[in-house]
Amino acid sequence: MSTTSKLPRLLRGAALVVGLAASGGWLATGAHLGWTQTSVVQLQRDEITGIDFPVRRAAFVAGVEVLAAGLLLAGGLGATALFLDRRRPAGA
Amino acid sequence: MTTSSLRSSLSVAVALGATALAASAAPLAFDFKDPKGVNNVQFSLDAPLESITGTGTGISGTVTFDPAAPAKTSGKIVLEAATLTVGNPMMTDHLRGNNWLDVAQHPAITFEAVSLANVRNQGPQILADVKGKLTVKGVTKDVTVPVSFTHLPDKLGARVGDPKVKGDLLVMRASFAINRSDYGIQPGKNTDKVAETIQLTLSIAGAAKKG
Repeated sequence: MSTTSKLPRLLRGAALVVGLAASGGWLATGAHLGWTQTSVVQLQRDEITGIDFPVRRAAFVAGVEVLAAGLLLAGGLGATALFLDRRRPAGA
Repeated sequence: MTTSSLRSSLSVAVALGATALAASAAPLAFDFKDPKGVNNVQFSLDAPLESITGTGTGISGTVTFDPAAPAKTSGKIVLEAATLTVGNPMMTDHLRGNNWLDVAQHPAITFEAVSLANVRNQGPQILADVKGKLTVKGVTKDVTVPVSFTHLPDKLGARVGDPKVKGDLLVMRASFAINRSDYGIQPGKNTDKVAETIQLTLSIAGAAKKG
């Protein structure tokens, strides 16, 4: 098998991995519809006053731009693979 | 004991009693600078394309509150605008930047109580509509905010973890909404992503030391 025939397959595989990683990562971190968050708030209660107060902790919550960038990259890789497939001479 | 000395002792006792009564009924000045970092404001904006939620914790101010006459409550609460934070660092920078809140030029968001109306009791809480002046980004507007007051006598020691510290706590809670265009915050711009209406929830506790 030649290098040119391996490349489209590699690109298709990469497109699949990137697309799944972007979608899976976005879903796994809560399918957040806004921009990416690098911290989240947890409410705790002060026992004496009964006040709920926010405690901010570092956390990565993927936003829609992460999903969009991942899907765009996957689409680009898939399109390149398709382009290379079509350019390949018949029987190569 | 002669009649005159008895009369004099009685006078002293009455005077002391009256002083004690006056002291217990006197308005208390509650300091809302909170070393525990519990005092907070939470804000949310729900625009068609994006919901934004955030918090602010730099709260200070003083409120004078008399449990026997809550309608006479007065005071001022200050929020350090640079403590307003959302989950995305770039968005936090934009929020604090000169296009939005411009915290460098307008470091404080303040609410000054002018009068209380519709004061009523609900269990241990006192509810009231507080009329006052809210200043955001240098623009001051008259607003009416529904506030609940909870007076916690002799709870300061428990809160600071030192029973020797004597004093009361006053918890204030309020939820209300403002329009950002009223305060010159990018009026009419980006309303698809940054809602015009800002929902605010304030939960704060102040301390009045005794002795």
